[in-house]
Amino acid sequence: MHHYITEGYVLPNQAHIYWTTMIVLYPYITGIVAGAFIISSMHHVFDKDELKPVSRFAMVMAFAFLLFATLPLLNHLGHPERALNIMFTPNLTSAMAGFGFIYSTYLFILAVEIWLVYRTDIVHLYEHTKWPAMKAVYYVLALGVLDISKEAEEVDHKVMVVLASIGIPAACGLHGYVGFIFGAIKANPWWASPLMPVIFLLSAIVSGVAMVMICYIVIQWLNGREVDGECTHALIETAWYFLIIDVALELLELINHAYMANEDWTILKTLVTTKLFVSMFIIQILLGSVVPFFAMGAVVVFKKRIPAAARNLIGVLCGVLLLAQVGAMRWNVVMGGQMFSKSLRGFLNFEIDIGGREGLIAGIVIFALPFVVIFVFSRLLPLWGSVETFPKEWMKEKPPVRQPLKGWSKFTS
Amino acid sequence: MRHAAHFLRLVALLVVAVVGFLFVRSKLVPQDFGVKGHFRLSAIADEAAREPRHIGSDACAECHDEIGNAWKAGKHRTPQCENCHGPGLMHTKVVAEESTTAYPDRILKIRLAIRRPTGIVECKWCHLRTFERPSTLKSIANVADHINSHTGTFTKDSKCIDCHNPHTTVVTVNAKGVPVPPKIGP
Amino acid sequence: MTTPRSPDDVSRREFLGTVAKTGGQSFLFGSLFVNTALLRLPQDVATAKAKQETEIGKGVIYGFVVDTTKCIGCGSCARACRAENNVPDGYNRTWIEQYTFYPNGEVVVNSPVGGEAGFAEPPTRNMPAELEKVQPVRGFFVPKLCNHCIDTPCIQVCPVGASFKTDEGVVLVDKERCVGCGYCVQACPFGSRYLNPDTNVADKCTWCYHRVTKGLLPACVQSCPAEARIFGNVSDPASKISHILATNRVQVLKSYLGTRPRTRYIGLDSEVI
Repeated sequence: MHHYITEGYVLPNQAHIYWTTMIVLYPYITGIVAGAFIISSMHHVFDKDELKPVSRFAMVMAFAFLLFATLPLLNHLGHPERALNIMFTPNLTSAMAGFGFIYSTYLFILAVEIWLVYRTDIVHLYEHTKWPAMKAVYYVLALGVLDISKEAEEVDHKVMVVLASIGIPAACGLHGYVGFIFGAIKANPWWASPLMPVIFLLSAIVSGVAMVMICYIVIQWLNGREVDGECTHALIETAWYFLIIDVALELLELINHAYMANEDWTILKTLVTTKLFVSMFIIQILLGSVVPFFAMGAVVVFKKRIPAAARNLIGVLCGVLLLAQVGAMRWNVVMGGQMFSKSLRGFLNFEIDIGGREGLIAGIVIFALPFVVIFVFSRLLPLWGSVETFPKEWMKEKPPVRQPLKGWSKFTS
Repeated sequence: MRHAAHFLRLVALLVVAVVGFLFVRSKLVPQDFGVKGHFRLSAIADEAAREPRHIGSDACAECHDEIGNAWKAGKHRTPQCENCHGPGLMHTKVVAEESTTAYPDRILKIRLAIRRPTGIVECKWCHLRTFERPSTLKSIANVADHINSHTGTFTKDSKCIDCHNPHTTVVTVNAKGVPVPPKIGP
Repeated sequence: MTTPRSPDDVSRREFLGTVAKTGGQSFLFGSLFVNTALLRLPQDVATAKAKQETEIGKGVIYGFVVDTTKCIGCGSCARACRAENNVPDGYNRTWIEQYTFYPNGEVVVNSPVGGEAGFAEPPTRNMPAELEKVQPVRGFFVPKLCNHCIDTPCIQVCPVGASFKTDEGVVLVDKERCVGCGYCVQACPFGSRYLNPDTNVADKCTWCYHRVTKGLLPACVQSCPAEARIFGNVSDPASKISHILATNRVQVLKSYLGTRPRTRYIGLDSEVI
């Protein structure tokens, strides 16, 4: 907390910004969780076979980001050592009190789902690994049960579909809830809106799909493997659909503020046209929404007439723009809501910290941690649902070769 | 159930986690939490137990009775002693404590435990003219002009209490009509 | 500003006892699982009413009135508060706002250091340069503090139950359980709360709970030379505050938010937000 330079009349206690980088990062991280999970569920539950190549990765990504979703919050708390009070004595009238339970329930569902997806692989690897230490690791991961009979696999599959079905509303709940945290604050006219949970959820899906898309294409490039055209197409299509609804609602929110022109509009108008001009109109709307709308729209419309290389390039570039869009949206909501005073007469000039506990560097480090987890995971279990990417040097022999992962193609029919 | 052994282990893990959570919770939540609403009941007593730092003008007047009586009888009876002198708690504590400190040092210690007004800053809090202040309040636009327009000459050492007695507001003048420094201190 | 509802008259109190007290402020899970008032049978309501009525006589309910027409903007209250409560620099539990109206309709509001250093001397004014030579047409001071709302958004949002209300209607923070998330700071429409950088927990005006429970006045009330602040037991008809509430038209801040503040104002202006 710093004392920021103020303009106009700012209430004395509001010459500080209490929620900064970490609170921007937290919905950003949970958003990627929700989006990545939706992608994997589209394959696991809705049988969208085009997404098969990324479905495992998306699930692992959701899990890795979910593991660190609490870290920005803990880093922000004045007393992180008391964090469990939120589960020990949850105040049922508080929107925030649900966090501990929603989070742990979702983490459990996701962990079990991943476990079921990988259980066969875990047992295979247990049987084929060279090193006793790794054998022990896989034994623990299998919870000591090595039954991968056909019957057991059938049970696993049933449970997994059920869990994924629960997981979708849980993912929506986790992120819609984050939006509710802001949307239910009547004290802040920039936040108070029933649209907030919906906007948060939709932008979450957009950011998650974008992140999966970028990682998929870039990792395939780095490993010199072919990028599955149908998969990329399906990812772009999904991102495009959700982007349209998301941006429509974001604009609706803004237009509604302007059209209703309540007493707070005077200051909100100044807010969006000065303090938030670049992050809102340039990044969030122009670069993050309009450009990807047309670029990805071209992919969606022209389908296989687009060359694969162009599609992949559009996928990566638009993925980055979408991530920027969602990041800017989080910034505009969280920081925008604190850049003006509840006196409705003054502004704060927020300057982002570089170092420090809640600074930019800390934020980047926290954001990088899920990728470390994904990397470690990729050393333990095959990330892309295929043995090609797996370190063969750990194996006594080659694990059984499975069907190559190819989506059902709508292009070649 | 033959092929669901791994689920049984999973459920067992979950049960252990939930029971462990409930056990830890029972140890860490204060006993008086939720007795009377969703909060720790003794937090009320904790808050109430804080020691008041402002002792009130009556308490000041118990020792400083001469000033106290003059203050109560004068026009300046609405501002309290501690408005200018700061909270009196430390001062009374130092006065009350057993001490072997010798005379001049002890007086110094007692004096240091209370704020010593500058005799000009405090006056300006109320008596400098601003548009928003009620006109019934006596106020001046500017200290230098005020002094210059009266009998004196404003210097950087000039103070309001050079003429005005802050406790009573009385200005004492000598035979020539020139204000003399009032006797203020204890 | 609409005419505020008085929370302390008896008919209001019945309403309080049956609905608001059992969770009128609750939302989300609260309205689904906790607000049993909605599920009560008529005889339960009658019992609750009877119980509430017996509490009127013995219960102390504090109230606070700010008479803005009397405030001279000396800042004594804010200074006393800081000293009494060890309020860290840059934060205020109470502060004074200075409103100045200019002929062109411009309103300039200031509260330099919460008004602690006084208002008369520069640098106090945060105003457009062209107004400096213009003679204002109207002006007044408005002291502000925690409103100790009946339906507090701050207690509602506290995730851990570290914010609570005493029987006397005082909103307090449990410094030992607060996690310092800052949600209450965001939820308070009046900017009354802050995160204390020394203790890392939420902090706010307590109406000097440690003083009033010992029979003393809050530090700000005691130090006010203009009697602009009145504090007392509103459930006692003979108290000074009851008299003032009975003989004045009072207003509350941001009444449209429905928080039902217990701090009430005399002589508020529509420009005071």
